[in-house]
Amino acid sequence: MMSNILSVLVFLPLAGALLILTIPKEHKNVIRSIATATAIVALLISLVIWGMFDRGASGLQFAQTVPWIELFFLQINYEIGIDGLSMPLLVLTTVVTTLAIFASFTIQTRVKEFYVWTMVLLTGMLGVFVALDMFLFFLFFELTLIPMFFIIGIWGGKEKIYASFKFLIYTGLGSAVMFLTFITIFYQGFLASGQTQLTFSIIELAQIFANPANPEILTSGLRAGLFLALFIAFAVKLPIFPFHTWLPNAHVEAPTAASMILAGVLLKMGGYGLIRVGIGIFPDQAQRFALLIAILGLVNIIYGALLALVQTDLKRLVAYSSISHMGIVLIGIASFTASGMQGAIFQLVSHGFISALLFFMVGAIYERTKTRTISELGGLSKTVPILAGFTIAAAMASVGLPGLSGFVSELLAFIGVFGASAEILPAAKTIGVIAGLGIILTAAYLLWALQRTTFGPMDEKYSGLPDARPMEYIPMIGLLGFSILIGVYPNILSDVINITVIDILSKIGG
Amino acid sequence: MLSAFDANWSLMTPEIVLLVLALLIFTIDFMTGIKGSKPFLGRLSVVSLLITAVLVVFTNNSSGFIGEIFVVDKFAMIFKLIILVGVALVITISMHYLEKNPDVYQGEFYSLILFATLGAMIMVSSVDLITLFVGLELLSISSYCLAGFKRKSKKSSEAAIKYVVLGGVASAFILYGMSFLYGLTGTTGIITIGRELPQLYVDYPYIIMMSLLFMLVGFGFKISIVPFHMWAPDVYEGAPTPVTAFLSVVSKLAAFGLVLRVFIVAFHSTFNEWAFILAAFAAVTMIVGNFIALTQKNVKRLMAYSGIAQAGYLLVPLAATVHENATMSIIAFYGVAYVFMTLGAFAIITWVTESSGKEDLTSFKGLFYRNPYMAIVMAVFLLGLAGLPGTAGFVGKAYIFIGAIVGEMLWLAIIMFATSIVSFYYYFGIIRQMFMSEPNPNDGELKAPLGITTIVTVAVAATVILGVIPGIITSYFNSFNWFF
Repeated sequence: MMSNILSVLVFLPLAGALLILTIPKEHKNVIRSIATATAIVALLISLVIWGMFDRGASGLQFAQTVPWIELFFLQINYEIGIDGLSMPLLVLTTVVTTLAIFASFTIQTRVKEFYVWTMVLLTGMLGVFVALDMFLFFLFFELTLIPMFFIIGIWGGKEKIYASFKFLIYTGLGSAVMFLTFITIFYQGFLASGQTQLTFSIIELAQIFANPANPEILTSGLRAGLFLALFIAFAVKLPIFPFHTWLPNAHVEAPTAASMILAGVLLKMGGYGLIRVGIGIFPDQAQRFALLIAILGLVNIIYGALLALVQTDLKRLVAYSSISHMGIVLIGIASFTASGMQGAIFQLVSHGFISALLFFMVGAIYERTKTRTISELGGLSKTVPILAGFTIAAAMASVGLPGLSGFVSELLAFIGVFGASAEILPAAKTIGVIAGLGIILTAAYLLWALQRTTFGPMDEKYSGLPDARPMEYIPMIGLLGFSILIGVYPNILSDVINITVIDILSKIGG
Repeated sequence: MLSAFDANWSLMTPEIVLLVLALLIFTIDFMTGIKGSKPFLGRLSVVSLLITAVLVVFTNNSSGFIGEIFVVDKFAMIFKLIILVGVALVITISMHYLEKNPDVYQGEFYSLILFATLGAMIMVSSVDLITLFVGLELLSISSYCLAGFKRKSKKSSEAAIKYVVLGGVASAFILYGMSFLYGLTGTTGIITIGRELPQLYVDYPYIIMMSLLFMLVGFGFKISIVPFHMWAPDVYEGAPTPVTAFLSVVSKLAAFGLVLRVFIVAFHSTFNEWAFILAAFAAVTMIVGNFIALTQKNVKRLMAYSGIAQAGYLLVPLAATVHENATMSIIAFYGVAYVFMTLGAFAIITWVTESSGKEDLTSFKGLFYRNPYMAIVMAVFLLGLAGLPGTAGFVGKAYIFIGAIVGEMLWLAIIMFATSIVSFYYYFGIIRQMFMSEPNPNDGELKAPLGITTIVTVAVAATVILGVIPGIITSYFNSFNWFF
């Protein structure tokens, strides 16, 4: 059991999906209960893994390798395992998905399909974070695409078809680039390794790229090209400017639960992939392009914030704030310092909770007022004080108020940037200052939006709206709780990721 | 000189048995009157095909020759099995179709399909230009008739005429190309031709290339690659739907076998000269097929363009050959995947278009509400054709891709993946109709006949199993010595 615990975790939701398929669609409550129970069990398993995770050990834990497909010189294994980078994201995934399921109880149409897709999606996301074989990684990565396409396309808003196809084509293109790059990495690694058969393992390929038997094959130009291709592939998911245009449509049109998962987990797959595969295999190239990564990070922060500032739709505003916040991940990575890297991982986790909470709040407000237009809202703190309170708390966490997780991640990333070595990241201080200005913009658009929605004069038609239902407290308290937990006691997270961050940086030699 | 008496005829057992059974069905048809419903003949045809398939497994397992005319090797065996399974599925689809269309003479239909199958089997098993051509014509002429089988439909007749005329021209091109080879070598045996070609190429490079190009035009027509694809959408649209399925799977794969045999056995020494030509054809085919498919409203035309694009994918490994066995494993795997995905999709297309009476994409509207199982299964086939993970289509594409990288044709691989993403749009367009649109108010639940349900279940199982554990056939294919 213990050696298979990761596999159990990954495939449990799939089993849940199959179970749901056997239930007649009229039994909505049974279906909901099965989905909820499956997600909670997955959450508990991930917490057990969290508890058992050896914080002092470097390298992979709970690893498992089973031979799977053999194509000539290519050996594909079912190879999974976790380290300090994937561990927090695994918990993030189960937490956000479980809470999203609680948030999805308002969905009344085609309930059965919704939970089947959500369960498949959960398997795909968990799989991405545990897969160590590039083929397997890609398979899970793509597996998240199909459920999300259906969820947006069926349960989405007015422009759902457009949004779902845009999502499909954009992320599909990203995946195609990823796959092309994976195979090329593999083949060049194979040529350079001098072996007759090679696995598709990220770990093994990283070793070959670090110490090739025939170094002349892996020229600097080739490495640079492959790294940039990987960067583009993951940039679509993260998303990084200029590959971000699918995000506002998808996030806005998706139903609340799916927006929570999209912003909370799916975007993190891009950041995770960038660190795991991009920096894992090409630490030297990542360092070489540090400035580019940092500048794109800056563009993300500023551009996302500026666009958020002019939005009239609350959900769109939150969507653009995601783009802005993902810039911090890039800046943290680009610093190539321990705290910067920690900040990036912290930001992935922290933004996962906060953005999910923000999307949940927007969904809850919309459900009551039937509008998301900022100018039509107002005075919510008088009508629905509890919802308004949580909205304010979520916005504060997003702005980076001390005591909440956003503060810790931003602080770490900034310490990283200001401490970056000038050889790796020239003009680090300038970048840090500009990024700081971007954070002020975050405060501006969020507070301004809060002022216009929660405070101000109350519109008469909103009086008497029902405040939070008991069922809504679960996601609200859960998500905010995790944000506070990390904000107050960051060690709980840094403890797990420390050794891995040191490992990553030791490969860079920094 | 080979005499008819010392040839090892036992190698031809499956073909002879199929011929006898086809004639038997033909005879029974005559004796029971031409008109009327004859489902037993359909069942008998399926049984005949399965018997033949079993015989193929037993007699074609080890290599053997009849002179330099007919050969039995792994290549022939696997292609014959793919063809026979494909035709068996097609006939099961047509049994449903024929019940709905009483104007089609059923007995003739089945026996013609069996004759076409016989032609296809001969094609993939011959190493002589004449035998090869005879097989090809047997397949083609039967197909011309089949395309026009809905006598009262103008579109069907138009399809048949178009197919006959253009197909005839294509055959002429092939023959003309062959005549150059015969003129140079004095033989029609492609093994001897392959042996003598390197020497001859030194003196007559242009004639040899001209011969190759002439044949490529003709073959290109048969496998419908751009720019020789113009007939496909019209014929696919006009022909009865099961015949469309037959053309897009069986006919295409058999012609592909022909291309492989001729190019790898006869022209292997000039690989460096034709690899790029084929790669260019593959690239144009993938681009044109996928982009034009975006604009299609008729589901059969859509499948025609999708089939054109798939032909482009199948050409990639040949253009990027490093070792013939590797190329063959890749193509055979994709071929198997293609048979199940495409025929599965066609089974559902036949059923849906016959039930709704129109061939528009909107006939799939709200299928999920009307028959959830069929809608889900259709989605799996479409995802497979689009090349998404978890399906045989993905493994096949990954496989082709690895072959292209090893063959140093990265640009071709990139085109393949880029155009695959384009294909998402139209494959998911059907999925959208099925899952994201409400059915028309007067469209109630839609029951699927048993035959259709059975074959789509088989096809979907194959698509998923080959997508998850492809090792069950790849390890087998990789151990093969495909030629002789």
